[in-house]
Amino acid sequence: MIEVERYNKLYGDFAAVQDLSFVVNPGDVLGLVGPNGAGKTTTLRALAGILQPTSGTIRICGLDLATNAVAAKSRLAFIPDEPQLFDYLTVSEHLQFITRLYSVKDAEARIAPLLEELELTAKKDSLPTELSRGMKQKLAIACGLLHQPDVLLLDEPLTGLDPVGIRRMKETINGRARAGTAIVLSSHLLHLVEELCTRLLVIRKGRAVAFGTLDDIIAMHPHLAGQPLEEVVLALTGDDAPAAL
Amino acid sequence: MTGPASALRYLWVRSASNRLKSQLKRVRNPRYALAMLVGLLYMYWILIYNPRASSESGVNPFADLLSSNFALPLASALLLFALARWWLFKGDKSALAFSPAEVQFLFSAPISRRGLVHAKLLRSQVAILINIVIWTVLLRGNAASAHGWQRGIALWLVFSTLALHRLGAAIVRANALEHERAGQRRSLVPAVVFVLMLSAVAFGVISQWPAISAATQLGTKAVLNAVVNSLSQPLPSFALWPVRALLRPVFAQNVATWLQVLPFSALVFALHYLWVLRLDASFEEAALEATQTRAELVRNVRTAGGVRKRNTKGKISRVPALSATGRPEIAITWKNIAAAMRGTAWRLQTILFTVMLAVFAVFTSLQSEKLAEVFLGLCAAWGAMLVLIGPAGMRFDLRQDLPRLAILKAYPISGAKIVAAEIAGVTILHSISIWILMVVPITLFVVNPSLFDDKLQLPFILGGIALAIPAINALMFTLHNGAALLFPSWVRLGTERRGFETMGQGLLTMLATSLAAAVALVFPVGLAVLILWLGSTAFGPASILVAAIFGAGLLFAELWPVIFWLGSVFEKTEVTDVGLPQ
Repeated sequence: MIEVERYNKLYGDFAAVQDLSFVVNPGDVLGLVGPNGAGKTTTLRALAGILQPTSGTIRICGLDLATNAVAAKSRLAFIPDEPQLFDYLTVSEHLQFITRLYSVKDAEARIAPLLEELELTAKKDSLPTELSRGMKQKLAIACGLLHQPDVLLLDEPLTGLDPVGIRRMKETINGRARAGTAIVLSSHLLHLVEELCTRLLVIRKGRAVAFGTLDDIIAMHPHLAGQPLEEVVLALTGDDAPAAL
Repeated sequence: MTGPASALRYLWVRSASNRLKSQLKRVRNPRYALAMLVGLLYMYWILIYNPRASSESGVNPFADLLSSNFALPLASALLLFALARWWLFKGDKSALAFSPAEVQFLFSAPISRRGLVHAKLLRSQVAILINIVIWTVLLRGNAASAHGWQRGIALWLVFSTLALHRLGAAIVRANALEHERAGQRRSLVPAVVFVLMLSAVAFGVISQWPAISAATQLGTKAVLNAVVNSLSQPLPSFALWPVRALLRPVFAQNVATWLQVLPFSALVFALHYLWVLRLDASFEEAALEATQTRAELVRNVRTAGGVRKRNTKGKISRVPALSATGRPEIAITWKNIAAAMRGTAWRLQTILFTVMLAVFAVFTSLQSEKLAEVFLGLCAAWGAMLVLIGPAGMRFDLRQDLPRLAILKAYPISGAKIVAAEIAGVTILHSISIWILMVVPITLFVVNPSLFDDKLQLPFILGGIALAIPAINALMFTLHNGAALLFPSWVRLGTERRGFETMGQGLLTMLATSLAAAVALVFPVGLAVLILWLGSTAFGPASILVAAIFGAGLLFAELWPVIFWLGSVFEKTEVTDVGLPQ
């Protein structure tokens, strides 16, 4: 599970994220939504241990990311919006690399089905320059899933995928959640968020403005009842939005 | 071997192997096969045949330099200045940059901070080892000399210590920014130490200034000896000890000396290693920022054509306006000039450099005629070096634009015009950079005309040089752009600068382009010499101008068909040839 307590991130005088607290339980899919520059990517990077919080604590499966980083990181996977791959490793070599990096025990048994699941089997000997954008995204996802993380952090996971890839990715996310993975998903595709996420965290200017299930959020803002998610998010993040939680 | 260490080893071995395979695949193409053959012959000549011949004949300028008595003290002082730059001026965050893929995979992986530092250091070893091979061969053959492997070990200690120092300085500086007071205290101590060391060196030079000034009457060697004497005074000598101890094994003339001085160099290296390892300060954020800056540079190169568009105050640099109508290829030249002006603060540097040169010219001229002559000689040598080295660093041309070949090819302009426009922009800017050096003879002439024997000749000589420079620059840039266009898979594309670890490769590239340029210059220089010989009696000093005009004209005439040919190569080049995704 993921526990975030009073997380703050400052860049000089600029507060990118302020006083953010939330919990994602095993099996939960948390949708992280908000306008550009709201602090979504900063939050995801902090959860992945890439950025250090200015203050506050982040725990992954009970392990503090600041004091027990290596153990905490071995339990998570972060898949960024832009797949960044090693230019001179083939598809299967990327997976071999991850196998060693995370000391995956039964890698051989996992790699073939994973390649099949993400339709990468035919491309397993290709270098990233020989892959389309969508294929690269699938490879980044495969790398993230190989060590079967307890926490999965996804930043715009559907970018570049074809319709079949999108459907498979949704099935993958649902499947992982059912298996008990705590998932945080950041996306501007609100229909995806609505379809996949069990809870929402809406942030604006680095502050949480809503957190909970869609029903919880509507209960807190009754005037939004009956509105589609898009309208709810726009109302919560617009200029006339309510104050932060 | 633990999981992460084993994973990193796997990453490097497989990447290197796949990279080599992918490069060798290109050799199936006759163009690449021929280039590889020429390259191998060149490497054999420069790294095996030439050093052997130099060793047998006893003439090797690189090796001879090591045995001169001023090389070690001057190299120590210069290295101290280079190291101080990382502490006293804006920190070099690029030392912390990882590749975007490394950030994605390693930063969120179960690898400790120390593990990341080790990964960074070990990766720099590839460039270091290649350079050691190059330098060991180039420095082979002096006097009684140490063995090649001994010099190799000495160079490894120097390059590796520099890599450690650069990384350590970057981590401390980055940590200072992240942890304000506590971090700043940590970076203040080394800054103060470097200020004291530099002050000691400056004190030595200032206290011996009368002797240095007097030596200017006796020539360059006397000046160098006087400077070395000033650095040998107790205080500067003490301040330079760590740097000198590090460098000394490289300069060792025999095995006994090498064995004697090596432990001290190894000690400096070991202390650096322990220091960097013990830092354990958070640097991921600065590393991420450095990686993003580098990725942004690459992305800008691939999309908008700019680099750092704003100066440190956030103001966008002004560039000359482009008229809405006119020849379309001018727009490409303009775009590259804008990129250079905004990417390198070219205008500010040019103005400051001009003022500084003029001030130095006045100062040296007032000190003594000999000193003014030395300064003039240094500027002439610097100008020659700029002609040779400059085009390798000034990359706002096809080397910047080839990664976005798809966009270039969509423009309604012929290939030859695109190639010519790409070369024109950098030729103009680089020519201005070199013309600026002429401020020195002009200032010296105004302050003290008696420095020049033939006052009437000076304007013609300067005019001749001014005419020749753009032609020679166009030739050098055509060679660099031609190489990028013909062998895009082998030539480094982009404008990013590389560290000192790649000095050896840079030197080999410079020698290769100089050789090619020398061949291209045979006829133009021959024609100019012929005109000078025939015309000097009839036209006097004006024949210098005539010779420069015809020589430059012939060089441009030689380049014209080459650019047309490169244009057709450009039109046939596929986006996949430059490594873009399918």
